[in-house]
Amino acid sequence: MNYVITKGLDLKLSGEAPDSRLAFNMPGTFYIRPSDFRWLTPRLLVQAGDVVRVGTPLFCDKKDERVVIVSPVEGMVREIVRGEKRVIEAVVIDRTSDDDTVAIVEFAEPADSQAVRKLLLQYGLWPCLRQRPFSVIPSPDAMPKAVFVPCFDSNPLATDFNVLMRDKEEDFLYGLQMLQRASGDAPMHLCMHEGADNQFFEQAENVQKHYFSGPHPAGNVGTHIHYVDPLDKGETVWYVDPQEVARIGEFFREHRLGFAKIAALTGPATSQTGYFTTVYGADLSGFLNEALATDQKRVISGSVLSGNKLDKFPVLGFYDRQITVVDEGGEREFIGWLLPGFRKWSLSRTFLAWITPKRTYKVNTSLHGGRRAIVLTDVYDKVFPLDLMPLQLLKACEIKDIEQMEALGIYEVDDEDFALCELVCPSKTECQRIVRESLRELMIGL
Amino acid sequence: MPKFNALFDAIDTFLRTPATITDGRCHVRDAVDMKRIMITVMIALTPALVAGWCNVGYQHFDALGGGGSLWDYLWYGFLKWLPLVIVTYVSGLAVEVLFAQIRKHEVAEGFFVTGFLIPMIMPPDVPLWIVAVATVFAVIFGKEVFGGTGYNFLNPALLARAFVFFAYPSVISGDKVWVSGVDAMTCATPLALVMNGSTEAIPSTGALFFGLIPGCIGETCKLAILLGAAILLFTQVADWRIMLSVFVGGYVTAVICKLTGLCPVASYDQLLMGGFVFGAVFMATDPVTAAHTRDGKYIYGLLIGILAILIRTLNKGYPEGMMLAILLMNIFAPLIDYCVVQRHIKQRQKLLSNRKRVTA
Repeated sequence: MNYVITKGLDLKLSGEAPDSRLAFNMPGTFYIRPSDFRWLTPRLLVQAGDVVRVGTPLFCDKKDERVVIVSPVEGMVREIVRGEKRVIEAVVIDRTSDDDTVAIVEFAEPADSQAVRKLLLQYGLWPCLRQRPFSVIPSPDAMPKAVFVPCFDSNPLATDFNVLMRDKEEDFLYGLQMLQRASGDAPMHLCMHEGADNQFFEQAENVQKHYFSGPHPAGNVGTHIHYVDPLDKGETVWYVDPQEVARIGEFFREHRLGFAKIAALTGPATSQTGYFTTVYGADLSGFLNEALATDQKRVISGSVLSGNKLDKFPVLGFYDRQITVVDEGGEREFIGWLLPGFRKWSLSRTFLAWITPKRTYKVNTSLHGGRRAIVLTDVYDKVFPLDLMPLQLLKACEIKDIEQMEALGIYEVDDEDFALCELVCPSKTECQRIVRESLRELMIGL
Repeated sequence: MPKFNALFDAIDTFLRTPATITDGRCHVRDAVDMKRIMITVMIALTPALVAGWCNVGYQHFDALGGGGSLWDYLWYGFLKWLPLVIVTYVSGLAVEVLFAQIRKHEVAEGFFVTGFLIPMIMPPDVPLWIVAVATVFAVIFGKEVFGGTGYNFLNPALLARAFVFFAYPSVISGDKVWVSGVDAMTCATPLALVMNGSTEAIPSTGALFFGLIPGCIGETCKLAILLGAAILLFTQVADWRIMLSVFVGGYVTAVICKLTGLCPVASYDQLLMGGFVFGAVFMATDPVTAAHTRDGKYIYGLLIGILAILIRTLNKGYPEGMMLAILLMNIFAPLIDYCVVQRHIKQRQKLLSNRKRVTA
């Protein structure tokens, strides 16, 4: 089916990654962070000094100990870094082997849903799946009503899936089959970009294919779910990134367990852009030393709209596939709010930048104002493509009116669906944080 | 000096843009902020203001027998406006800074526009102390009591005018107040003339449109107001739905009034008289006090247009129906929004249960 998204926004930034490879030297240090997995409270299964191999469980979910996160490399646990209130911030592993970061695993061919799930859980591949609502790792017992594979990314400077998935056809197709089995033969939806080169994804069989066109967030899985099979209270769907599907396929087809990943280095503030092959948890401080060395740049794992700033553990998030580098803002202009602003990007036409429709704008991390109460009421509707009322939903979240939130469709959204609202809000409202915190309250309550 | 934080911050961020950087998952932001929006509204108001200066001066010289150049009119009007605007800003900002300090938050920019609007909807010779009292009343009870900018439900500028209208009616109604500098000379506004039945004395449509008529400082020149409307619509600061609905509602009602003989004035003249155009463009479109939902805005605007004309036509005591219509609809806007949201919720429930029935 074809879907045309009319509301949304494409933010044109410079620094898109060309289809070329950047050299990436596998570092000696790996940081595995529980914070990569939303709201997962870890219980440690290793301690400092332990020898680990690819697939050795490092920590499990306290709520369901079958869900484990495993080591992506062979090496030794150097230390467990704890933060405030003894929260586990990272498991630090020193890589000892120069071999491929892959393990060969022996197992019997899984016959049914239960068997597939058991294997995924045991070898740390279950976190490759996420569910909506809440975007958490799904419960191993739940049956989703559908499985979604978003086949394109519409974020600014998004990666091209044709580059990411090159030479992975067989693994991808096998992975789809296995996921179908794991989900209990739930309908599987592949959501592609209308008009793009979708040859790769068209090869899939036994799936429903959907084509989305229009501006961002046409590529968000939330948008796909809303149009194809919206969620009501109590229902769940799974969603899986194509690279993770291929990873699962490689595991079942070739009995190889590995956490390698292709990602892109992008952004207006980096001199080098391109794709690189890395492994989950790899310390990127060597690779990104130019950008990380200065305070004037912000390095983000993910896109500028809903990524996370690289903190003291400079690694790519488990679910992220790009690094974006932008300039830090914060310069103070004399009476800046009065000046014509020929090069300031704005959705409103209150700056004179519309006179010269440049392809790319000077963007940095400046907030451009102070936090205020919401005044303009039509802004969110312009960039929110779902058939919901974003302003009213956001207000219901802020006042914690659970019934109103549910009635307005909180289960259909996640924070990244509000990223554009946060981008354009003149009152600088932190929409994503508000939605995320409300979802957390709901999840705890359920 | 912790006591004066709010004032210091207000002046600091007035002079230079703040240095805050993003702290969350969205790392870049739109360059627009509330200050930019407010300054855009003030720019949109400027044509009407300058035209208003000229008109105040023109009415004054004309009443005294003529003479004077355009520059004389402008200068006269400017001098009449200047003390008004100073008094308004000083009294309003004093209240705002006080509340910001007590509540320990930043001084919001909402008052920039309110302070600009209040002199424009007052007659030129209004006593300064009355304006100050009205402004303080409007800021406290129209805004700060509810939490400040963004939390109020009544338009503060209109509240100031309503305060003067009800508490000191002699300075804002009747026939003697609309031309500056001439005491005890009867110069009725066109609306008043209509109400009294002397319709042959109504100025021509041209005079109404270009604003060479007695009236409040900013309301008279419709051409300048429409220029401001164009600015507001182009920069997407005001919602076209509200503006359009107000005009449509007013026009339809005016036509009906003419057809049923309730009021002999032509429908387009009816719209051009009084504060209708000014209210439709600058007052009804205040986003905080209008309806917040898209569909609600149509209903809100239509009712304002209808009520403004009806109040004018049917009640000779309130020729200025626009102000009352907008304030009344400000009170009803949350109800309109509630109904729209409820309808949306019911539609969602129906849609989701239909889907379940289909797939089950």
